[in-house]
Amino acid sequence: MRKIFTQCKKELIQFRRDRLTVALAYFLPTLAIILYGFATRLEAKNIPVTVRNYDIGFYSREYIHTIFNNGQMVSVEWSGSKDTDPLDSGKARAVIIIPPDFSRSIRNAHSASVQVLVDATDVNNARVIKNSIIATSQYFLQSRAIEQNKNLIVPQVRLWFNPGRKESLSVAPGSIAVFLWIFPCLLSTLCISREKEQGTVLQLYASSITSFELMAGKALAYLLIGISQAIVLIGSSCILFQLSFVGNWLVFALATILFLASSVCFGLLGGSRTNSQSAAVQLVATTGFTTSLLLSGFLYPQRNILFPLSLLSNVLPARYYVEACRNFFVRGSGFLDQTYILLALGLAAILIFNGARKVMSKMQLSS
Amino acid sequence: MDYAIQLKALIRKELRQIFRDKELLFLLLFMPVMQITLYSFALSPEVEHLRLGVIDYSNSTTSRELVGNLVSNMVFDLKEAGANEDELANKVKGGKLEAGMIIPPELERHLKAGIATKIQIFLDGVDANTAGIAGGYVSQILGAFNNRLQTNSQKQNSSVEPKVTYLYNSGLESRWFFVPGVLALVLNLVSTLVSSAAVVREKDTGTLEQLLMTPVSSFQILAAKVIPLSAVLMVNVLISLLVAVVFYGVPFRGNFFLFMAVSFLAIIVGISIGIALAAYSANQRQSLLTSFFINLPVIQLSGALSPIESMPQFWQDLSCLDPLRYYVTCVKAIMLKGVGFQAIWPNVVILAIFAIVFLSLSSARFRKQLA
Repeated sequence: MRKIFTQCKKELIQFRRDRLTVALAYFLPTLAIILYGFATRLEAKNIPVTVRNYDIGFYSREYIHTIFNNGQMVSVEWSGSKDTDPLDSGKARAVIIIPPDFSRSIRNAHSASVQVLVDATDVNNARVIKNSIIATSQYFLQSRAIEQNKNLIVPQVRLWFNPGRKESLSVAPGSIAVFLWIFPCLLSTLCISREKEQGTVLQLYASSITSFELMAGKALAYLLIGISQAIVLIGSSCILFQLSFVGNWLVFALATILFLASSVCFGLLGGSRTNSQSAAVQLVATTGFTTSLLLSGFLYPQRNILFPLSLLSNVLPARYYVEACRNFFVRGSGFLDQTYILLALGLAAILIFNGARKVMSKMQLSS
Repeated sequence: MDYAIQLKALIRKELRQIFRDKELLFLLLFMPVMQITLYSFALSPEVEHLRLGVIDYSNSTTSRELVGNLVSNMVFDLKEAGANEDELANKVKGGKLEAGMIIPPELERHLKAGIATKIQIFLDGVDANTAGIAGGYVSQILGAFNNRLQTNSQKQNSSVEPKVTYLYNSGLESRWFFVPGVLALVLNLVSTLVSSAAVVREKDTGTLEQLLMTPVSSFQILAAKVIPLSAVLMVNVLISLLVAVVFYGVPFRGNFFLFMAVSFLAIIVGISIGIALAAYSANQRQSLLTSFFINLPVIQLSGALSPIESMPQFWQDLSCLDPLRYYVTCVKAIMLKGVGFQAIWPNVVILAIFAIVFLSLSSARFRKQLA
């Protein structure tokens, strides 16, 4: 036990000595979360739309006014010769074409059709644009009292947890999870591959320390550093994105520690499998970054991941921690609903630690 | 004459070094295949199979028909809701359901009397994007349901029917959106990594000084790095394109030569960034960490994964400084829209300016170091 603590103390002293790494360890995650939290917006606002109005009547002007009134779409001057020209050059995402008989049809109680051409290269936005135009058309009829139909069923849709649909509320907790996976394991992988590159690992092999004690000491040191990173990261994102703590403290604290432990052990595993610092960084950064970014459900719902990869996503610690973060910062779930998160993260930490210890013990001379 | 021979010899040396480095070749060949596969399988903005819990106090034909309408197009899947509102609310809180609906007992009675009935629907808003689209679907489905309830009794009314046509991607394949973006993103990543590795390695091993002792000029050294790398990376572009078109069925509707020309500009930009990285950092670890630092914003602001026009204004302005943004726009326009030079020329020109400026800056820095 004492050997573990000594090893841990040694790592912490070494970490503190390297000023540049210390600065990067706290500065990089904060920068990354600012970038992701502010710049990642999945849903389009201010969609550029142009209108070609062939109608000279009153209703078409009112209709155009309604379309641009809700702030989701922005009017763009029409230019070019073909209907699709603004879409081809990317000046607009949609073209609305109002036929010459629009006002007449409405006055005569016929149905007026409006042609809408949507740039569907961005699938998500194409859907948003379609929904929005259909909804505005309905609203237009009702507000002008053109439609006498009384809706017999009135849906009252409420959005829970995030009534204003602020995207930062879903992106920021997710980014916390992604970056708490990447940065702690980057540091721990550097520590072990540095020992290998500089040859000091041979001294450890020759000493009486076992691979378990060695790994546990290093893991403990980097877990402590990881916790301090987590505090900085969560603190800064609370200030930047006005997150508040609404969930269960105990679950979140436990989940964070287990998650950081598995991240640190993943770094140790990567470091002990490779022979140089640059190879270790590449291995950990590419596998860790792409999997936690893509398969954790951070950007799009996890259930949308297709079959073979969905299996992989279920063994990914980041996938569970993204849920834990959203529960704690947005949903406010209770303890019992989240036990599966703790179980999965605990299991991951133990398995990854054991893997790293085994790789290390293979290299050690057996006594 | 000497000049050309020297350059040729240097280029041959670089090519040999590239092909000897198994790790590098692996990166060049495997990275596009792996990344395109990962992204196209993993990222999907579909709004489908949201788990819906219904508490139906009305328990009538109309209410069952209403639920049937909601679940029949795969947007919602009907799941166990619990016995009352509290249980339903707890399930949503615990993340077991994404949507809940409560149908009041008076539905049938109100319908007969012609009074409007309010139906409570709540959606888990944590995923703001999904919730927004799902909310739109709910009102559309219920709107259609309302119309059907009234058709028998009501007279003909005026209406506005938006006829929406999806251009370029009429089947709304989300893969078509991600694959061109990822193609651009991988090219950027690989070209910076490979070029910085090619320069830093010579620094690390000290062979750069040996090269300087020879009669070749610093311009030749640089040209000998850039020419073979861009040739290899052009092959890399072809591989990515092949994977995208053959394996993932993404259409290629534009001009192939325009695509390759634009890709060449992007490669020059990537190589320049890589050379600058290597010139400024002392060893491989530093250049790796710095490349992480630069690539993160470059990718994030490029619009490859999330649309630029929805970013806050400040970040939109910042993205104008991102060369990858222009390449992503070009790739999407050429592959999916099939447009020619006249539609995307501003992007191509800006990309070319980036390529020239970056290449001259980084080569100036590189040569200064050699002097």
